[in-house]
Amino acid sequence: MSLVVDARGRDLRSVSTELKGAVAKGPVVIQEAAHLHGLAAGFRSGEVIVEGDSGDYLGVLNDGATIRVKENAGRYLADNMTRGTVIVEGDAGYGVGAYCYGGTIVVRGNAGDFTAVMNKGATIIVVGDVGDEVATYMLAGDLVIVGNAGQNLGNYLIRGHIYIGGKWESLGHNTLLAEMTQADLAKLRGYFDEYGIEADPTTFKKIVRLSEKPFYK
Amino acid sequence: MPPVNGTFCVTVMKDRCINARMPGKCAACVEVCPYEVFAIDGAGTVRVQNYNACVGCRICAEFCPEDAIRINPAESEFLVRSPWTFPQVEEIHHKAQTGQYMLRGFGTMGYAPSFDNITVVPSQIASPAPRDKYREECNLEVVIGEETCENPIRLRYPFLFPAMSFGAVSREARMALSIGAAQTGIINNTGEGGLLRDETWLIKGYENEERTLKRWQPGGYLVVQWSTGRWGVSADYVRAGDGVEVKIGQGAKPGMGGHLLGAKVTAEIAAVRGIPVGSDALSPCRYYDVQDLEDMKRMVAFLRDVTDYKVPIFFKLGPSRPYADVRACVEAGADAISIDGLVGGTGASPAIVTQGVGIPTVALIPPSVQALKDMGVHRRVKLFVLGGMRDGLDAYKAMAMGADGVGFGAAAEIAMGCRACMACHSGRCPYGITSQDPELRARLDPEEAGDRLANFIKATAEELKILTMLSGHDDIKDLSEEDLRAMDLNTAAITGLKLIGYERRLPWWEVGQ
Repeated sequence: MSLVVDARGRDLRSVSTELKGAVAKGPVVIQEAAHLHGLAAGFRSGEVIVEGDSGDYLGVLNDGATIRVKENAGRYLADNMTRGTVIVEGDAGYGVGAYCYGGTIVVRGNAGDFTAVMNKGATIIVVGDVGDEVATYMLAGDLVIVGNAGQNLGNYLIRGHIYIGGKWESLGHNTLLAEMTQADLAKLRGYFDEYGIEADPTTFKKIVRLSEKPFYK
Repeated sequence: MPPVNGTFCVTVMKDRCINARMPGKCAACVEVCPYEVFAIDGAGTVRVQNYNACVGCRICAEFCPEDAIRINPAESEFLVRSPWTFPQVEEIHHKAQTGQYMLRGFGTMGYAPSFDNITVVPSQIASPAPRDKYREECNLEVVIGEETCENPIRLRYPFLFPAMSFGAVSREARMALSIGAAQTGIINNTGEGGLLRDETWLIKGYENEERTLKRWQPGGYLVVQWSTGRWGVSADYVRAGDGVEVKIGQGAKPGMGGHLLGAKVTAEIAAVRGIPVGSDALSPCRYYDVQDLEDMKRMVAFLRDVTDYKVPIFFKLGPSRPYADVRACVEAGADAISIDGLVGGTGASPAIVTQGVGIPTVALIPPSVQALKDMGVHRRVKLFVLGGMRDGLDAYKAMAMGADGVGFGAAAEIAMGCRACMACHSGRCPYGITSQDPELRARLDPEEAGDRLANFIKATAEELKILTMLSGHDDIKDLSEEDLRAMDLNTAAITGLKLIGYERRLPWWEVGQ
């Protein structure tokens, strides 16, 4: 049975102090936390379940915890995560997975602009659509978009892979449409099986960097 | 292409030069000059191949075993040709030939309003008597985060080594800075290039990773930087610091980010920054996870939470609109603010930016201090002034104007051996400070350089103490504007200090906002 933390009317320090103690004992359900920004920051382990919506910066610096959001997440979800898993059942705002070094983020709804900006190694999966400037300055990792993307997808892509099942409004600077390999298909199948996503990898396209020197036009 | 200067005359005295007497025997000048002023031909003879490239750093003269090289300024030509000076003409040619702008390191050169036209007012009969430097004590300690943090920083001296990242400087330089800080009880800031494991124990004065051998007292403080590129940043990184600095800007290139070219991202740098070898490391000009001041407050809140409310939060500002920027930092939750002036800049930057963008250091202080006073936090939120600070005299003046401390960036590099050749961006630093070349890095002994840094800080602290005591104080917190006078109208107008002789502020002066 999960422990329950009621965040109603409380500030970040108060809730966080209780949460840090509780996660060591087992999964923790946190309620009424949409007003708190930076919740579950830098956790090394444990499981946190956010009932309802979450605020901004949920799971920032996450270093191994599993965090689930039952409804929508705010901006900068799992900012600068290094390890762990963050799953959102609804939509997520601007800057999902910004600056991440590792771990996995799954957004079952849509994600905002600048998703995966400066991603340095995380796997970020968006089942719905994403906004503009997604994967800008990405250095490593995978971004999987099952739906559609807005403008400047992969702008100034440095390294890493973008897989997209839908369409995009425009591609950004230094992007190249590449052949899907068997390894790519297997990787996508693995992601879809693991997170219960209904999608056909063979319909996906892969985008990689065009040049090793993205900053010289 | 090196910055063509053309303002120095290079003379090699043949009767002293070993190579002139014995071709092939010595080429120290060729090896150390970062601008290839000297060359060696097939017969082993050294010659001056490019007089105009000399920037006057005199590294060649330092390394010449026979003291055979003289470098003399040639200002007269420089002055009469202005504005079409030789460097300006050559810069235009460079851009016309390559389509690229000039890069340069080491901050602004030439005239900018400075502390030089401010004088210290000593104590005499009408003011508290001078303090006796030998018998009496003088408190130089500064505490940061005393009211907000479980583990406040207690600086023995009101100084810090500001952010100089691994990548911009060598591993050896980073280690030296930590050793120097450990010996003097001050701050060393990681910059945005990640954290070297060695620094975490060196900064506390230990000479081994197991922390069993304490060698340097009293131990210093490591401030880890949180920046727009977020290189090597993790929860462990943030927790490794005695403080966390949120970087907004820097003096060398305010309004710009940074860019470590892929060619410079060696295996060691890649490991520390957590990116692939050879990958460009771009630090954007702004945060992609901050859109307004409310976000900045939230960022400070989660940084405090991750560090369990134990360590202070610093902000680092470039020279822009000091009153409004300092206010914003305080609103965001800063425990300390470092503000970097136009003159500052150890980092490589477009020459036009480092030379012509930002506010001179001395002019940043009055509006910054006023902002802190208006918010009721002066002396509680600590203000550190950076940018061209050279000695205890500069430090005294900045602190009497209301700062709580100062940072030494360029001066720290010079203390390690640098002679300001401005080749930081080239990777060919003759002293191994700003180079990643193993051969050049081998020239910098971290312990020796750390000792030199400690000596510099101790001597500078003594200078500050002398000035504090001769002006009748026994605590740096008691310094005030009354201890200073402006020596010309321009300085009085910029600083609001009383003008010498006139003994009043300029009647129309009010602090800018």
